Amino acid sequence: MEKLLEVKDLTVSFDTYGGKVQAVRGVNFDLYKGETLAIVGESGSGKSVTTKALMGLIPSPPGNIEKGEILFDGKNLAKLSEKEMTKIRGKDISMIFQDPMTSLNPTMKIGNQIMEGLIKHQRMNRTDAKKRAIELLELVGIPNAQERIKQYPHQFSGGMRQRVVIAISLACNPKILIADEPTTALDVTIQAQILDLMKDLQKKTEASIIFITHDLGVVANVADRVAVMYAGKIVEIGTVDDIFYNPKHPYTWGLLGSMPTLDNTEEELVAIPGSPPDLINPPKGDAFAPRNPYALKIDLEQEPPMFKVSDTHYAATWLLHEHAPDVEPPESVKRRMKGFAKTGTAPGVDEKKGDES
Amino acid sequence: MARYITQRIIYMIITLFLIATATFFLMKLLPGTPFNMEDKLTEAQKAALYEQYGLNDPLPVQYANYIFGLVQGDMGISFQFDNRKVEDLIMDRIGPSAQLGFQSLVFGTVIGLILGLISAIKRNTAYDYSSNLMAILGKSIPSFVFAGLLQYYLAVKFGWFPVSFWDSFKHTILPTIANAMFTLAVTQRFLRTEMLEVLGSDYIVLARAKGLKNSVVTFKHGLRNALIPVITIMGPLVVSMMTGSLVIEKIFAIPGIGEQFVRSIQMNDYAMIMGTTMFFSILFVVVILIVDLLYVVVDPRIRLTGGKE
Repeated sequence: MEKLLEVKDLTVSFDTYGGKVQAVRGVNFDLYKGETLAIVGESGSGKSVTTKALMGLIPSPPGNIEKGEILFDGKNLAKLSEKEMTKIRGKDISMIFQDPMTSLNPTMKIGNQIMEGLIKHQRMNRTDAKKRAIELLELVGIPNAQERIKQYPHQFSGGMRQRVVIAISLACNPKILIADEPTTALDVTIQAQILDLMKDLQKKTEASIIFITHDLGVVANVADRVAVMYAGKIVEIGTVDDIFYNPKHPYTWGLLGSMPTLDNTEEELVAIPGSPPDLINPPKGDAFAPRNPYALKIDLEQEPPMFKVSDTHYAATWLLHEHAPDVEPPESVKRRMKGFAKTGTAPGVDEKKGDES
Repeated sequence: MARYITQRIIYMIITLFLIATATFFLMKLLPGTPFNMEDKLTEAQKAALYEQYGLNDPLPVQYANYIFGLVQGDMGISFQFDNRKVEDLIMDRIGPSAQLGFQSLVFGTVIGLILGLISAIKRNTAYDYSSNLMAILGKSIPSFVFAGLLQYYLAVKFGWFPVSFWDSFKHTILPTIANAMFTLAVTQRFLRTEMLEVLGSDYIVLARAKGLKNSVVTFKHGLRNALIPVITIMGPLVVSMMTGSLVIEKIFAIPGIGEQFVRSIQMNDYAMIMGTTMFFSILFVVVILIVDLLYVVVDPRIRLTGGKE
C-alpha cells in the first residue's frame, strides 16, 4: 500500500502557568492511501493535539511543535510557514469537528460556508462554486439542497449540521480527512447514519481517514487500523483484528474491559483504576505503570520501546520482552475478545454459540 | 415585522405615559414654585400669576390638563424664558446637543471598537495592555473630572484647544472626547471579550481548517459575530451619553438642551422640566427600538414575531 503520510517522533508541548505540558511525546505512525486509522485513548491522551499538529492548527503560543516530522507529499508539514500551510489545509487535509452545533458560523449561510474553500483552493467563480456546493450537499444526503444552501446553521438539526461539516471538509477532494470525534455529540441513531455516510463517502473519494474517538464500538465499525494512545504516546498499534482479538498492552486490555457491549448482560464493566499522569511532569518509565496491575519493576525505571508482535502489530510494553513473565489478559477481557468475534468485526457467527462464554 | 413594530410602538406610548406621570408628580414634590425667587413680586402679584398659570388648581386637575396638552403636542409655556413655548426652546437648543451626542457616539464607538479589536488580536502584548489601560481609565474616571483635566492640560496649559464655548469645530473636540470616554471604554472592554470568545470558538477553527487566510478568518468570521452582542449595549450607552452630556454641557458652557435642563430644575420651570424629560424619553425609547431592529439585521438567528409565532 502507498504511504500517504508519515509522522515521526512528533512532540508537542503547551506552555501553561503551571509549567510545560508535554501533550504529545514522540508519536510515530504511517497513514496509507485509502485506509481508516482510528486513534483511541482517554481524554487528554493527545489524540486531538496530534491531529491538530498535522493541520498546523496548534495555537502558538502557547503550543509548540518541539520536534518531529510530518511528511506529506514530499514536505515536512511541521516546518511549513502559516502561509504555505493555508494551501494544504482544506485542500489536501481537511477536518471534521466534534460538535456540529458550534462548528458552523452562525451568521453565515451554509452555501457560503461550503463555497469559501472552493473559491480559495479551486479558484472557482461563485456560480460554479454554488453548483458544486449543491452537489456536495446532495452527496452528504441533505434533501432539497437547492433551497438549503440559502439557509443558516440554526435551521438545521445536529445530524444535518454534521453532514454540512462533512460536505465542507470534502469540498476540495482532500487526500486525508481527519475526523475528531465526529459522532460524539450526536445521538445514537444519527451516529450510525453519519458513520455509514463516512464509510460510503470514503469508498467514493478514496480519501484516507484519521478517525479520533474514545468509542471502541465505533472503531470496530469504521477502522482498518487502530492506534491506542496513552499520555501522549502511541502504546499499541495494529489492525482492528490485532487490537480486538489479540491485544498486547495492558492499557488496551483495560479499554476493552471497560467497553459496554450488547451481549454483556451479567458482567460488570471493569474500570481502569487511578487517573492519567500529569503531563507537566511525566513519570519516569512507563507512564501507565502506576495504574497497571501487570507492571514489572523495569516499567518504573525505563520506558518500553515498541515491540513487534507481527508485521502489522506493535505494542510498547515490557511484557513483550523475551525475559518478561508470561502474562495473559484478564479473564473478563478474554471473554470480551470472544464476544467481539461474535458481534463486532465478524458478523454472521451464530449468536447462540457465544452465549456460554 | 410590521406587526412587531406596531406592538413595540404601543409599548413605547405606554412607557412614555408612565414616565410623564411619574415625572409630573415627583416634580411637584420639589419645594418652591417658579416664582419664589422673584423677590420683587408682591404676594398679590404672585397669587395672580399662580391663577394665570393654573397653579392653584388641585394637583389631579393640573395633571389632567398637562397630559391633555401633551397628547395634542402642546408641551406648555416656559416660566423662565418670556413665556416662550417649550417645544420652540428645545428646538433652539437641539443643534449643539445633537452635534455633541453624535460626535461622541461615533468617536467613542469607532475608537472603542478599534482598540477592542487590537486588544483581542494582539492579546497579552504591549498593544493589549495599553488599550486596556485606556479603557480602565475611561471607565473609572467620571466624565466631569476628565473634562476638567482636558480643560486644564490641553486648553489652559498647552493652549491647543479653547477652554469652553461652542463656536468652531475646534470648540467641540474637548467636550466630545470627555463625553465619549465612557462609551469608548465600555465598547473596548466588550468587543475584546466577545472577540476573544469568538476567536476561540469551533467555527473559527473550522474556518482556519478550510485554509482561509488569517485576515479573512478574523474579520469575515470573527468580527461580525463579535459585533452582535456589542449592539445590545449601544442602547444603554446612548442613554448614558445623553445624561453625561448634561454635565459636559454645563462644564464647557455649551448652549445645549442639557445645560438648559439643569437650569430649569434649579428654577422650578415645570413645563420646561417636563418637556425636556419627555424629549429625552422619546429619544431613548426610539434608540432602543432601533437597536432591537438592528439586531434582526445582523443576526439571522433572531426573527421578530409580534405576539404569536
